[in-house]
Amino acid sequence: MNFLALFARNLTKGPYTEPFPFAPAPTAKRFRGKIEFDAETCEGCRLCERVCPAGAIRMTRTAEGMTFDCWHDSCVFCGNCEFHCPTKSIHQTADWHLAHTQDQKFLMVEHALIPNQICAECGKEALATAPATRTVTPPLSPTETQHLKALCPKCRAKFIRARKAAA
Amino acid sequence: MLASFRELAVKSPWIYRINAGSCNGCDVEMATCALIPRYDIERLGCQYCGSPRHADIVLISGPLTRRVLDAARRVFDEIPDPKVTVAVGVCPISGGIFRESYAVLAPIDQYFPVDVNVPGCPPRPQAIIEGVAEAIEVWRQRL
Repeated sequence: MNFLALFARNLTKGPYTEPFPFAPAPTAKRFRGKIEFDAETCEGCRLCERVCPAGAIRMTRTAEGMTFDCWHDSCVFCGNCEFHCPTKSIHQTADWHLAHTQDQKFLMVEHALIPNQICAECGKEALATAPATRTVTPPLSPTETQHLKALCPKCRAKFIRARKAAA
Repeated sequence: MLASFRELAVKSPWIYRINAGSCNGCDVEMATCALIPRYDIERLGCQYCGSPRHADIVLISGPLTRRVLDAARRVFDEIPDPKVTVAVGVCPISGGIFRESYAVLAPIDQYFPVDVNVPGCPPRPQAIIEGVAEAIEVWRQRL
């Protein structure tokens, strides 16, 4: 009888095989796949580089600013970087289409640049990272955050101190 | 005659697996590709074979430990040309978390001519199928 039940189910539901190479495969929403990085919201703390067990992430200071590189061929999709990132500017997508031919091996890189900027107050050159504003009380308004982003780290600290004294 | 053979041959590439010191994660995923009907790599005409002499596509997993190098080389040389090599998992491609270890010789492209890479730790079965499909394309050009 079990056989008949299976037979009937197979007739109504069709084959159990996923049609993958000929049709898209079902992927879980929280599938841990390819790394994606957003330079706009990065604070430049380099925690992701430190916690990466495979050493896939590398951040380097260059003349233009700080570069971010994540080599997908070394990433083990552990999610440590996303877990430790204070701003969630690094996250894993559900994209797993990473098979490639040998000539593309060193092109499988997520590359981004955090550029240098001239501080709006003191005129020194510093990285245009997103300001670390989580611990600031009361919370900063969007215009204040925008202003803070245009400053160098020293002027940022000065601004926060002055704000605290005023409050 | 030969042309028609080429047409037929690409329809049934046989696959051979070499475990070059893998943790078995990638091997399980590779086995899953063929052994359960959900992924069923045999739709592409592929079949795992027990002897390297029957193989057309070789899947290598693992970071190539120092001890296994000699055995892996001997098995690899048994596979008749033209063959297509697929590196499965991040270990053979870059070394993954074992990179720069004294016991490991990764990346394996210093020792074997790799054609297709399938990164992942482990790659999901669909990703391996994608890699094998790419390998079949490479094999078609090579025949």
